[in-house]
Amino acid sequence: MEIADFRAGLAAWLDEHHDELAPQYSPPGTLDDHIAQMQRVKSLLFDSGWMRYGWPEHVGGLGGSPMLRTELGAAIAARDLTDPGLYSLVEVLAPTLIDFARPSLAAEVVPRLLSGAEMWCQGFSEPGTGSDLSSLSCRAVPDGGAEPASGWVINGQKVWTSLAQYSDRCVLLTRTGSAESRHRGITAFFVDMDTPGITVAPIEMINGVREFAEVYFDDVVVPADRMLGELHGGWAVAMSILPYERSSCFWQRIAYLYRRLQLLVDVASDDDRTAEVVGNAYVQLHALRARSRVTQHRLAAGATLGAETSIDKVLVASAEHAVYDAVRRILPGVVEMDDSASGDVWREEYLYSRAATIYGGTAEIQRNIIARRLLDLGSDE
Amino acid sequence: MMDAERALLAETVRDAIAAAGGPAAGGAALDAVLAELGWREMLDAEPRDAIDIVFTALGNANGTATVLDDVVMSALGAAPRPDVAVILPRFGTWDPPGRIEADRIDASKIDARGLATGRAATAGELLVVCDAGAGPGAEPCIASVAVSVAAIDAVRGIDPEAGFHRVRVEGAAAAITPLDARAWESAVAAGRRAVAHQMAGASRAMLTLAGAHAVERVQFGRPIARFQAVRHRLAEALVAVEALEAALTAAGDEPNAVTAALAKAVAGRTARTVAAHCQQVLAGIGFTTEHPFHRFLKRAMALEGIFGSADEIAFHLGRGLLASRTVPTLIEL
Repeated sequence: MEIADFRAGLAAWLDEHHDELAPQYSPPGTLDDHIAQMQRVKSLLFDSGWMRYGWPEHVGGLGGSPMLRTELGAAIAARDLTDPGLYSLVEVLAPTLIDFARPSLAAEVVPRLLSGAEMWCQGFSEPGTGSDLSSLSCRAVPDGGAEPASGWVINGQKVWTSLAQYSDRCVLLTRTGSAESRHRGITAFFVDMDTPGITVAPIEMINGVREFAEVYFDDVVVPADRMLGELHGGWAVAMSILPYERSSCFWQRIAYLYRRLQLLVDVASDDDRTAEVVGNAYVQLHALRARSRVTQHRLAAGATLGAETSIDKVLVASAEHAVYDAVRRILPGVVEMDDSASGDVWREEYLYSRAATIYGGTAEIQRNIIARRLLDLGSDE
Repeated sequence: MMDAERALLAETVRDAIAAAGGPAAGGAALDAVLAELGWREMLDAEPRDAIDIVFTALGNANGTATVLDDVVMSALGAAPRPDVAVILPRFGTWDPPGRIEADRIDASKIDARGLATGRAATAGELLVVCDAGAGPGAEPCIASVAVSVAAIDAVRGIDPEAGFHRVRVEGAAAAITPLDARAWESAVAAGRRAVAHQMAGASRAMLTLAGAHAVERVQFGRPIARFQAVRHRLAEALVAVEALEAALTAAGDEPNAVTAALAKAVAGRTARTVAAHCQQVLAGIGFTTEHPFHRFLKRAMALEGIFGSADEIAFHLGRGLLASRTVPTLIEL
């Protein structure tokens, strides 16, 4: 299917089913509401086929360019049907299973993620690994002590695991090599979250939402056939997520930011100062959208995305800050003092926006990568 | 144009500009070189690539030419000619530079104030787009006046080498032809894309100079490129340059007045960001005229005002968003 046809057909379908798809809670809604809304929307989209475009047939998809599912994610973000941050887990975790799981496992579980029957989470970060993921220490050892083992025993802790308390499965990175093996001694597993020994402790974010959690693993036994990729090959699994996170997920985030600017323009007063603030945010969003568009086209043409996506990451974080800084300037007191429902929404989103320069590799890490890999400034050591 | 063909042409244009003497060469020398390379034929056949390649190369080499006149004339539907110069809007603005007073329409007398490239100094004729005027039924029009009736002075300003001229026409007799209402908008869009490409080339050049300096300059026993404060400035500059190049790709893929305006606004922001970071990294040597940085800085400052600055364009776009209460996404996958 051509992307323009897909876009037009999807828009018509979304219009037609507006009432069915619209959130059924009053804003701002709780995280439980948001999750239920997302799974409901995914289920409607899966049953009608839209959710299956861009995914391979052997995991329940209808084939076609991955850009089709990028369009879908952007369309539902632009209509405020789901939060793109929550929705992005589909885009980063389904490809991991498709690329690294046993084909029969991928065929079994990916449709369950796409259709909203399941939630999955990503167990990467640990208390000791902020930007330095390769230092992770959550340990997996062969059950019974020797390989080939029928299972692996996992012990350790993960943190910042988004939606762990809602999740049925976890894509987990573990240390299988020596403590010094860094990225060469990491192995990925696909773990059922109801396995004995897993404890989830949600963390309250700065905006009051408990979106992510600490996850503890105490002698958690995982079958060997749940290994994703090769033994000690977990770094490749982790890195394979980057192209999706930096392309389709960004395109969806951008759609969401345009929608935020639209909501702001809907209520802003028509004066020169507002025009200046809104205009500058618009210029910044456009530059980001233009850059992300180039990146999606490169990916669709078969390019391997790498360090240059750090530029997209810096732009998306700066634009997100800019949009919410504009909110504070144009709607004075709304974030700080407004106790109406819309005040609650802007406040929650404003506070969340401050994470944009932190998650997925801090803005500083991105600039380090740009300096070393793109500007050839050599090592900084 | 295929990618390989485009790259080859870009290299040819770059080499030709360098061979003509780079920054030292005046407008006429580079015009001759570009004419020799078939610039006008290229502009006619492949305007997007022609403008991209030539203006990027000019920006990158800090070259001065008068090819902006050709871009504007061609967008106005007039055949570009080396002996005809165009009056550009005044610094920081994009309204038509000319005006026909209502009571003078019959007499075909016009007033105009604006800028021009170096072509105004050698041309025999000036083209000026005039406002619709005050009268009912008044249409925008394009007027042609003899250079002899205009006051034309070279602008010294911050960048005398840029070749800009100040042009003033008062109550001069003109040959007037009606102009399609959208033609000026197209001319502004084409001019903005061209100037934004030139600013992108200049921004790349500043970053290259600062990057080379950071790697070579040793302080406290190591190249300053090893200091994170320096690296992060240069990284920010690259982010800005790449964003501008993407905005220009978007303006080429979806050519219209708004994508061109956005590209020019991004160009202004980028040039300012890049200049500030690079000047700081270049530090002492970048503060002197012994280092070429200052030429790019000054050229970028001059170009920022051609067809509107980033601030003015952003303000204008913001007014439009508030008036329509709509935030269009403009470009799709």
